[in-house]
Amino acid sequence: MAEADLALLLTAAACLGLRLAGVWLAGGLAADHPLIAWATAVAQATLAAFVALAIVAPAGAMAEVPLVARLAGLAVGVAACLAMRQRLLLALMTGLLAMLVVRAVL
Amino acid sequence: MKAFLPGLREALGAAGVAMAATFLAFGAAVREAGLSPAWAVLACWGIYGMPGQLILVQAATLGWAGGVGTAVMGAVAVNARFLPMAVSIAPVLSSGSRLRLLPAVPFIAITPWAAAMRALPAIERPGRVGWFLGFGLTSWVVAGFAALSGYYVAGALGPEARAALIFVNPLYYALLLAGDLDKPAPRRAVLCGAAAASLAAVLPASMALLAAGLVGGTAAFLLGRRRGRG
Repeated sequence: MAEADLALLLTAAACLGLRLAGVWLAGGLAADHPLIAWATAVAQATLAAFVALAIVAPAGAMAEVPLVARLAGLAVGVAACLAMRQRLLLALMTGLLAMLVVRAVL
Repeated sequence: MKAFLPGLREALGAAGVAMAATFLAFGAAVREAGLSPAWAVLACWGIYGMPGQLILVQAATLGWAGGVGTAVMGAVAVNARFLPMAVSIAPVLSSGSRLRLLPAVPFIAITPWAAAMRALPAIERPGRVGWFLGFGLTSWVVAGFAALSGYYVAGALGPEARAALIFVNPLYYALLLAGDLDKPAPRRAVLCGAAAASLAAVLPASMALLAAGLVGGTAAFLLGRRRGRG
């Protein structure tokens, strides 16, 4: 088996294992168990850290975009989202447009 | 399963655009690493966690110089959030048996998780697994086809287009998190997680996300318990 296929198979199996373990663990707990609140906080914090790293210190193609443009896209997108309540797609497009405009201007 | 269709429709909105953009860029990266289109699609459907998928592609670009084991460990570490995500979504999806949740397991990933945590409380309990399957299956299919398209249009995507595609993904997550900022518990988790992201300055990239989530999430959880008591 080629290295790439082996790596894919092992990673997919491990990721499925993590998901199954989580569901199995939670199945034995009450919905208001502190472990569930903790796991939710960890998952949300991970997502927030992912966003922070992707905006402030990205790798690859995103690193070519100036920091100011990335921050502008984030700020405009979030502001649009808060102003337009629930209209995610429109807010997403507004933020993306802001990033592209600032990058073009710089 | 009558909530399946609303879930499907939700997945074709902002989530679908964010998903398609990210997986298009992924397909292009897979082609540049010299891997096959089948590998691109199977990575999307089998792993279904972009940071881990990207670590394997980077390792392939470097000719697996660090060994397959190191690449797999890095990919699993960066996708380790699946465990807390599964723990937190299970009681929201169903309060009954674990077996009912089995069909939903492969779809537990950032996008379906974040969308479900937002939408499910407003959906009646018996329909929640159906909603999640509608959403998860749709974004899964979108991801696979987007990766395949990205593979074949790789040459036409300049660095600028790719940067725009990749930017859509963190922006989409930021918008989902922003919608939750009016509730105290998610607000604490988001602020602590963003602050803990600074751990990336001192940790290797493959561990930084996991560490930031654990440190930030635990801090937010402990702060919340102190608030609760006081």
